Amino acid sequence: MHFMHISEDTILLLYEIVDVIISGLTNGSVYALMAVGLTLIYGVTKAFNFAYGSFFNLGGYCAWILIGIVGLAGGYFSIFLAVVPVLFVVGYLLEKVLVAPLRKYEDWENKVMMMTLGLALFMDNLYVVVFGGRVKSLPPILEGTLEIGQLVFTYLDITIFFLSIGGILLFGWLLNNTRIGMAVKAVAQNPEGARIVGIPKERIFAATFAISTVMVGFGGILLSQKYFISPMSGGAIMVKSWVITAFGGMGSIRGGLYAAFIIGMMEAFVGWGFGMSYGMIALFILLLTTLVVRPQGLMGKS
Amino acid sequence: MSFKRMATIMGGTFGLVAAAPLFVGDIRFIMHILIMCLIWAVVASCWDLIMGFAGIFSFGQVAFFAIGAYSSAIFSVNLGVPAVLAMLLAGLFTALIGVLVGLPCLKLAGPYVALVTFGVHMTLMPLLRGKIGMALGSGGSVGILTIPPIRIFGYSFSSANLVPTFYFALLLAMACTAVILVVIKSHWGTAFLALKDSEDFAMSLGVSAFKYKLMVFALTSFLTGVIGAFYGHYIGMISTRMLELDLFCTLMVMVVVGGIGMFPGTILGAFITVIANELLAPLGTYRAMVMGALVVILVLLLPNGVMGFWLKPAEAEAPAA
Amino acid sequence: MLKVIDIDAFYGQFHVLKKVSIQIKSGEVVVILGPNGHGKSTLLKSICGLAERVEGRIEHNGQNINGLPAEKIVNRGIIYIAENRELFPQMTVLENLKLGAYSKNARPHEKQNLERVFTLFPRLKERRGQMAATMSGGEARMLAVARGLMSNADLLCIDEPSLGLQPSLRIEVFNIIKEINRQGKTVLLVEQNIPRITDLADRVYVIEEGRISFEGDSGEALNNEALKEIFLGM
Repeated sequence: MHFMHISEDTILLLYEIVDVIISGLTNGSVYALMAVGLTLIYGVTKAFNFAYGSFFNLGGYCAWILIGIVGLAGGYFSIFLAVVPVLFVVGYLLEKVLVAPLRKYEDWENKVMMMTLGLALFMDNLYVVVFGGRVKSLPPILEGTLEIGQLVFTYLDITIFFLSIGGILLFGWLLNNTRIGMAVKAVAQNPEGARIVGIPKERIFAATFAISTVMVGFGGILLSQKYFISPMSGGAIMVKSWVITAFGGMGSIRGGLYAAFIIGMMEAFVGWGFGMSYGMIALFILLLTTLVVRPQGLMGKS
Repeated sequence: MSFKRMATIMGGTFGLVAAAPLFVGDIRFIMHILIMCLIWAVVASCWDLIMGFAGIFSFGQVAFFAIGAYSSAIFSVNLGVPAVLAMLLAGLFTALIGVLVGLPCLKLAGPYVALVTFGVHMTLMPLLRGKIGMALGSGGSVGILTIPPIRIFGYSFSSANLVPTFYFALLLAMACTAVILVVIKSHWGTAFLALKDSEDFAMSLGVSAFKYKLMVFALTSFLTGVIGAFYGHYIGMISTRMLELDLFCTLMVMVVVGGIGMFPGTILGAFITVIANELLAPLGTYRAMVMGALVVILVLLLPNGVMGFWLKPAEAEAPAA
Repeated sequence: MLKVIDIDAFYGQFHVLKKVSIQIKSGEVVVILGPNGHGKSTLLKSICGLAERVEGRIEHNGQNINGLPAEKIVNRGIIYIAENRELFPQMTVLENLKLGAYSKNARPHEKQNLERVFTLFPRLKERRGQMAATMSGGEARMLAVARGLMSNADLLCIDEPSLGLQPSLRIEVFNIIKEINRQGKTVLLVEQNIPRITDLADRVYVIEEGRISFEGDSGEALNNEALKEIFLGM
């Protein structure tokens, strides 16, 4: 009897761990999407975007408006269809109007960092002014659960996972099989060579910024269904994406993918064992350790 | 800019400010704002030394300020250390943290440094609010509410007697900015100019980029820690609110208004920004938004800050084609 | 076809080209000779919209193209082929060639140009799946020229194609350039020296210290005693 009691506890613990792993995988897949977007901007334009996290929430709020206020029919499918172009245009214009003019200065990287941090403050507080300080929630894309034996998966987690992976695969396909994708790669590998063959670098920079905005905003729509949309959470999302990118190796897409899942898992386990607020601290310790042991990140070139 | 010109601008600014109590010494609100201006002038100037002159993308300035404020408060509240000594210890402690942060990242490319230092900032809030911070005496989400004022020979410099406190702050600010001025015009400053021009060339001359960067990181952390400590003792209470992004951006506005790498422009930038921020107070919830928009607009339209108006055309930063 | 009229070019503080004028007629091979660092490359880059700051007039079919962005100039049928190759290292030979046909002017002709390039450079056809970074110096040079041809340009501005190549490969490169010219392309070529220049060039310019110090057809160049020693490799 006594023995039975312990093994029941163990089983409960195992279920808990499976839950944690699922949460790590789900979050990791969205982080991967975000990290790929960020590593793309850095790899191609060498610009450091501090407003990245605010675009995460831009996606969330756009979806919230369409569901709660406009009452768009067609579920999330039509929401993606409507929001993705908006994110693209916003990203493209922001690059053209705010980032591109700074490139002519010698210390443009510095100026871009400062400008985007200001932009983040502006956007986050714009959200507070427009939507209020309280969090908003999005309905799940799919309700219900999938039960396999004793294991319970929510359809939401499964959908988020597959949509994120699908997004990354689609992005990879576009990069390798379309003219614009090839041009983006060309600019990343050799900007001068790209100029010689007649690739308009400025337009590629803007397009890259736009694509990364779409990726993080899409991630925002997905993850906000699981948690909430909170106006001031952009900073944490931004730091998380950057740590993943640095951990994986800046500019390395594959490294970013691995790093995203490792960090998603780590965060889930730290949150489960010590509480959510320690996630950021664990993340930071991981970053410092990486930089000391392997400064170029998992997959980056030294 | 020549040493003489920098010193003249600094002397003129501080001289003008020193005379202020003659006219507005009775108006508590204005005296308080002037003290805040002096405090931020130091923090912004430290940031400019790091970013504008040493070329380090450090985003940890507010974090170091908070570390200085918290450590001094904890030293004096929990350990009973006299405030002046606690300030000094806090400065040293902050410098130590600065070195610890600088060691792993200062050899790396700019964005990594930005990330690590900003990471320090983002980590500090959960750390201070959580169990570890509580154990150290951070007061959790409430903060530390009973920080004793600075006392020298039984005379206390607190918000109760603002004019003497103002002069204390003035002396402290003058000392800190004088140190920064000397550093910029010393061997260090020259080394940084050489490093900015061509890191390879400077290194071939035996200038170790890492060593200089670490030293300047330690120095600015020390100064920022001391002034942060002073802030805590002056206000009497601190909380993690100071780590929210709007203060960070306000500080950035100061640097941008003053001009990056245009010291002593940051001193003017601090005065202009702190006063403008007070004038914006009626905007309430819109204030932080306006601050953010200001950063964006100023970075785009005022590449040399207010110092741009003083510069001869040849000194103005030529856009690289 | 192309007229460069009194241009001045600057690189940072340096005044690289001083009142330089040259002319290229359709179907010609024009060679620009000159010592290193005297402005030959800058002249090519000025024509192709890749130089930092250029003052003066550059007329292409009667229209001023100075100041146009590089991609507009590529669209007009002028392509720069760099001395340091400027390939895309982490892409295959085929991908490099396809990017060579990025401009609007080249897209419709991509297929036939690819065929033509592969006939001209059979080795590139064999290695089309290889990464550009792993190619030898000679092959990479071929790829740079081939990528330039993919742009469907009428005027090829080739910057020191034989730099760093062994003598037999140099001859091969020049033969290929001659062949390209025979197929109807106009060529503006920069070199430090060229053996048997009359076989290749129609006309020759010499740039020294940023100024044109000699101009004439290749026979005249050959008979100029001062030039012979310095540039013609004899």
